[in-house]
Amino acid sequence: MLILTLNCGSSSIKYQVIEAETEATRAVGTVERIGMSGAILTHKRDFEQAIKVTGEILDHAQALEYILGVLLSKNHGVMSDLNEISAIGHRVVHGGETFNHSVLITPKVYNEIRDTIELAPLHNPANLKGIDACSRNLPGKPQVAVFDTAFHQTLPEKAFLYGLPYVLYKRHKIRRYGFHGTSHFYVSNRLYDIAGIEKENSRVITIHLGNGCSMAAILNGLSQDTSMGFTPLEGLLMGTRSGDLDPSAILFIMNKEELSLSSANTLLNKHSGLMGISGVSSDMREIIQEMENGDKKAKNAFDIFCYRVKKYIGSYAAALGGVDAIVFTGGIGENAALVREHVLAGLEFLGVKLDKEANSNGPKERKITTKSSKTQVWVVPTNEELVIARDTIKIIFGVQKVISD
Amino acid sequence: MIHSLDELKTKQSAPENKFIPQIAVIGGGIMGQGIAQTASSNGIEVILVEKNEKLAEIALKHLDSSMNQEIERWSLTIGEKKSIMSRIKTTGKIEDAAHCPIIIEAINEDFGLKKRLFHLLDQACDPSTVIVSNTSTLNLTKLADETNRPDRVIGMHFLNPVPKIPLVELIRAMKTSDETFTMVKEFAETQLGKKVVEVFEYPGFVTTRVIIPMINEAMQVFSEGIATAEGIDTAMKLGYGFQTGPLALADMMGLDDVLMWMEQLWQQLGEPKFRPAPVLRRMVREGKLGKKSGEGFFKYDEDR
Repeated sequence: MLILTLNCGSSSIKYQVIEAETEATRAVGTVERIGMSGAILTHKRDFEQAIKVTGEILDHAQALEYILGVLLSKNHGVMSDLNEISAIGHRVVHGGETFNHSVLITPKVYNEIRDTIELAPLHNPANLKGIDACSRNLPGKPQVAVFDTAFHQTLPEKAFLYGLPYVLYKRHKIRRYGFHGTSHFYVSNRLYDIAGIEKENSRVITIHLGNGCSMAAILNGLSQDTSMGFTPLEGLLMGTRSGDLDPSAILFIMNKEELSLSSANTLLNKHSGLMGISGVSSDMREIIQEMENGDKKAKNAFDIFCYRVKKYIGSYAAALGGVDAIVFTGGIGENAALVREHVLAGLEFLGVKLDKEANSNGPKERKITTKSSKTQVWVVPTNEELVIARDTIKIIFGVQKVISD
Repeated sequence: MIHSLDELKTKQSAPENKFIPQIAVIGGGIMGQGIAQTASSNGIEVILVEKNEKLAEIALKHLDSSMNQEIERWSLTIGEKKSIMSRIKTTGKIEDAAHCPIIIEAINEDFGLKKRLFHLLDQACDPSTVIVSNTSTLNLTKLADETNRPDRVIGMHFLNPVPKIPLVELIRAMKTSDETFTMVKEFAETQLGKKVVEVFEYPGFVTTRVIIPMINEAMQVFSEGIATAEGIDTAMKLGYGFQTGPLALADMMGLDDVLMWMEQLWQQLGEPKFRPAPVLRRMVREGKLGKKSGEGFFKYDEDR
């Protein structure tokens, strides 16, 4: 039994084929530049080199056709009949306040996802296109939506409301939603399995550092607070996003520099963060390299990045009344030992004793604190696709509530 | 080994929307550059046609430097600029544009020139090609009559700067067919991401017709010494919530172009409210053309 997972962006689709019984990934791939000239399909089977095909792909439906084509192809395929796919699991970015768990996509659910378009104008329309494409190309197959926001729907009001007139929450649903929920859910649950920590009575801080960066404070398995907010711009410093900022600063800048709304949006989302501060790169690897070459601005960017994470650890430890374990994940979180070292430096008062050797080397999934450390710190590679596949399987076999269980 | 996407087709299905993969833009001035940039940034291939290859390359250079300014002003990224440039090809030959389903003309606002161009395009292009004019004051129906396809001629009035202004006026000439209108409307809305206002052909359409008298009046007020340029713009900006005051707006449009529009509207509509303020004539004579010449009602410092 195979599950197809899809992550549809405005001009891209990422896909995986996952075997339900073994949870093994049979194939992964992406289609990029949909609706643009020179679309690229990249496809890779387990233990094989990736293949690339370019051409014209006009819309998501056509992209899915090609994906199904390569999955069936003689030399690179992973199935002989599309009926081997039992269901499709979609990553949907925004579930608003409607969805606190993954759901089977029915016409009613479809309309509710459409109703949240205003909250995620860049992402939700693409997710709907992906769902439409599956309805057309794989008619009758059950489809499941797994929401990036669902895991954080357990936030209490005191954590999700902003200090704005309450009527704005009522009128426009302005509140903290949080993102990367699937990743925070996965790594925290993985931690309960491997660290000998009971989910009940546990206080965990998860740190997802990738292109986007966010943290979550998790009490007894439930998200209590998270650093991204109404949009993925709030919180930590990111590759090109500013993170936390005095809102007045942007109003002041818009006035001084005569910026339009859309320019201000680009400024905050694409020209800020590591890129904006360093002027060098939005990529942490290059920032570290330049810093080691003596570049002051790169060092500044690195320091600000780490300091923000450290500050959030402190505030979440306070919010949780202490911390039993901290987890790093995401591209930077999993690979940048130097970032972890700087973030954790000085946290001995929280019971963190870093094992420098384990921090620098070891298997992908590992503990990086010493045996005597009261608070454990782990590196856990995230696997959002696996959560999507698992939820999809559970839902098509009749279990409805999944992620918030 | 798989060599092309065709080998992966499981079944042939038509895409949901009528997708236009490539357009041609004729004229590499500010409007032509802006239209090319807007189309390309939305993933559409663009052929930019100028009188010769050299002029086309100059246009592309200007576009490159105007995008560099946008990057400095944080409204574009380097990666975005690269991918925009990669989709724009230049040529000096109209024939190279002949196969495009939509051709947008943005050459000088001169009836004789446009007439000749429409004739040439009609000869060179596929009969199904839709010919679009960016004219803001000229008689579109007369231009359409230069072709054997007046039903497939339509006006798209973009405003400068094209990538930033979310509006396009779609102008129906006398014989523009519903089919052409619907196709271009869908193209403008879904592929270019612009809000469309339907306009029936009449000099100045909506935007030019309504803004020009205000600009003209502001110039009158200025020359009568009632307020300074700064004062007039501040009053209108703060008083009525305009983002740009009328005189700064005229500077941005180019005072020579503003003068030409006024004369066209005055001539065609016969109303004295369109008669250009003498101060405008004087400034154009002196070569003060607004932002593009460095001075108009305000001074423009390159380093700003």
